Amino acid sequence: MPTLPDGTIQVEHVWKKFRADRTAPKFYDQMKRARRAIGSGARHDYRWVLKDINLEVPPGGTLALIGINGSGKTTMLKIISQVTYQSAGRCTVQGRIGALLSVTSGIHPELTGRENVFLYGAVLGMGRQTIRDRFDEIVEFAGLSDAIDRQVKFFSLGMQMRLGFSIAAFLEPDILLVDEVLSVGDANFQQKCLKRIGEIVRSGTTLLYVSHDLASVEASCERAVWLADAVVQVSGPTKEVVSSYRAAVEQNASLVTSNEGVVQVLKVEIKAADGGQVRSECDLDICLTLNAPEAYEASFFIGVSQGTAFPMFIVRHNGFFPAGDFEVKCRMRHVPLGKGHYSLWPAMAGHAMGKGKPLLPWRPVTSFDVMGPDLPRLPEGVMVLSPVYVGSDWQVE
Amino acid sequence: MAIADSSGGDALVVTDVSSIPAEPPPELLYHHKTRFIESIRVLWAHREIVYTLAERDFRAQYKQATLGILWAVLSPVATLMIFVIVFSRVKGFGSEGVPYALYAFVGILCWSFFAASLGSGGNSLLSNKALLAKTQFPRECFPLESMLVSGLNTLLSWVPLTILFVIFGRAPALTTLWVPLFMLIEVAFAAGITLAISSLIIQMRDLTQVLPIILSLGLFATPVIWPYSKIPTNFHLAGGHQVSGVLVNGHIVGAHWVGGVSVNLQLVYGFFNPLGPVIAAARRTMLLGLSPQWELTAVAALGAVIYLAVGFRIFKRFEVNFADIA
Repeated sequence: MPTLPDGTIQVEHVWKKFRADRTAPKFYDQMKRARRAIGSGARHDYRWVLKDINLEVPPGGTLALIGINGSGKTTMLKIISQVTYQSAGRCTVQGRIGALLSVTSGIHPELTGRENVFLYGAVLGMGRQTIRDRFDEIVEFAGLSDAIDRQVKFFSLGMQMRLGFSIAAFLEPDILLVDEVLSVGDANFQQKCLKRIGEIVRSGTTLLYVSHDLASVEASCERAVWLADAVVQVSGPTKEVVSSYRAAVEQNASLVTSNEGVVQVLKVEIKAADGGQVRSECDLDICLTLNAPEAYEASFFIGVSQGTAFPMFIVRHNGFFPAGDFEVKCRMRHVPLGKGHYSLWPAMAGHAMGKGKPLLPWRPVTSFDVMGPDLPRLPEGVMVLSPVYVGSDWQVE
Repeated sequence: MAIADSSGGDALVVTDVSSIPAEPPPELLYHHKTRFIESIRVLWAHREIVYTLAERDFRAQYKQATLGILWAVLSPVATLMIFVIVFSRVKGFGSEGVPYALYAFVGILCWSFFAASLGSGGNSLLSNKALLAKTQFPRECFPLESMLVSGLNTLLSWVPLTILFVIFGRAPALTTLWVPLFMLIEVAFAAGITLAISSLIIQMRDLTQVLPIILSLGLFATPVIWPYSKIPTNFHLAGGHQVSGVLVNGHIVGAHWVGGVSVNLQLVYGFFNPLGPVIAAARRTMLLGLSPQWELTAVAALGAVIYLAVGFRIFKRFEVNFADIA
């Protein structure tokens, strides 16, 4: 077999099983299991956390793993970094791996920040001399110049995480594995981390990135894989994988909550006010048909989201809503939506609630497409929280 | 089958979930191979991690204590005082003509390295759980690092040993130069046991409780407070006939067996517990100025090497699961 170039990750038909029992078995359980094993020949209860996973990342490639909690993303990273081993299949990794699976696990609270830089650096695979050379940069990046000779147990959690990430940020591996560590520190530091990851990738390092933060996934990876129920559901260009993942999340949200609430949504209609296609910056007419058992004095909300339970924007109307079937009509003016697929979330909150049940819980009821220009490509390492479209006129003199 | 190839086409690949079997085909099952030489080479490449982790534990150990590193000296002295008070009065232990404090302290030094290695090294995989599950380097680093810390602590105990020599107005004999050889045997033995125990403890936490019991038992089963010469060299197993002894001053003298099968129990003991010959030899060479008993040394060395090989094998055998069960 020809050797692969440094920075290649090749995962072929990888399977991984975990023991199904949650705690280490007690003596009694062991006895029960032994008896069962003699009877049936089955030794352990287990479940598959990864099934037939195939991934390939060439040198310098960037791949994101997305999926809900427990979908096997971290386990996959651990197998690639050989922290743990697959139950079946083959995983070939060529080159030096820098695995940032946790930012604080290597940090010892009794030692000073300075001692910890050397400790964690060594643990992550940096030579002593390399750490000495980059020490100032690391401390500067973490913004801890004043605190570095203090014991780490007197650091705040945010400071500890910043220290951990900064050490890892100056590794120079062929392959960088990052697991959900960007939720570190404040917005400023997150921005710095993203930028740093961008720099590392530009220098030719292969990146494998795990995060729930879809905006940062889109900002840093070209391709993505969506893991769910132990298998790869969808793989391909990040944008498309992320949008199919988002669609699934929304679908799930509406399933979960559809039977709650006092007020029922019977019908939803969305159309452009001028009767044409729904386009960026057009006026949007929304017509909801609802049914309420009694009249309420309430606030009615309508939000629009893309892939998360957090809306990009919300409009509100306070007023009186009659009993029985009624219609709520809302015209949103100049909706700032770029080309894409969006969800509509209505909600109703009464002034005289207190019956334990919301009038109309926050959930997506329908989705709609918007035609129009794509959002501009973002500069490296930048992510937008609300991907809204704002028309602009430019002049350079 | 879905291939996520980040250089490939831009198509979105949706997996046909129904095409995935319930279990992986048997030919794909993963078998963890360990090559001895390769493992040693990788371990050597990661030696800096062992040093760094040892430095971490050594610093952290004394950082919060007011007396700091002085404790490394004080605690073996305290143990010695207890031993002297309790055991120097017990009849029949003997100290081969050397002051009991000095005689016992050499034993305590050898034992305390072994006990500390096993005590901290045995639990090292558990106490480094966070690192074990999140970072990638040879797992042997953890028990070995703990052993290194125990070794450093033991080295510090040589300070009170020197003081004892001065107090009793003696000097270590020239044959003391043999001591490093025996330390090597002890390290091999301790490493073998520590590797095995640490890999077992992580799967069966009950052993954490059992380990101290075994260690306190081991203290008395090892010639720490009694001389190795108490073990018979000519132990009768079967056959032959007994010659009765003569009663002299209330003791029976000269009773022995003639013919039949007998064994040198010192050799047998030395094979199974190489620490015995190590302590015996340390006393012989440092305190009595005699050269080592070579037959006994060879047996102890053989035993220690076998312990090391088997311990390493056990460790490597269970290594696959460490991160999952930690």
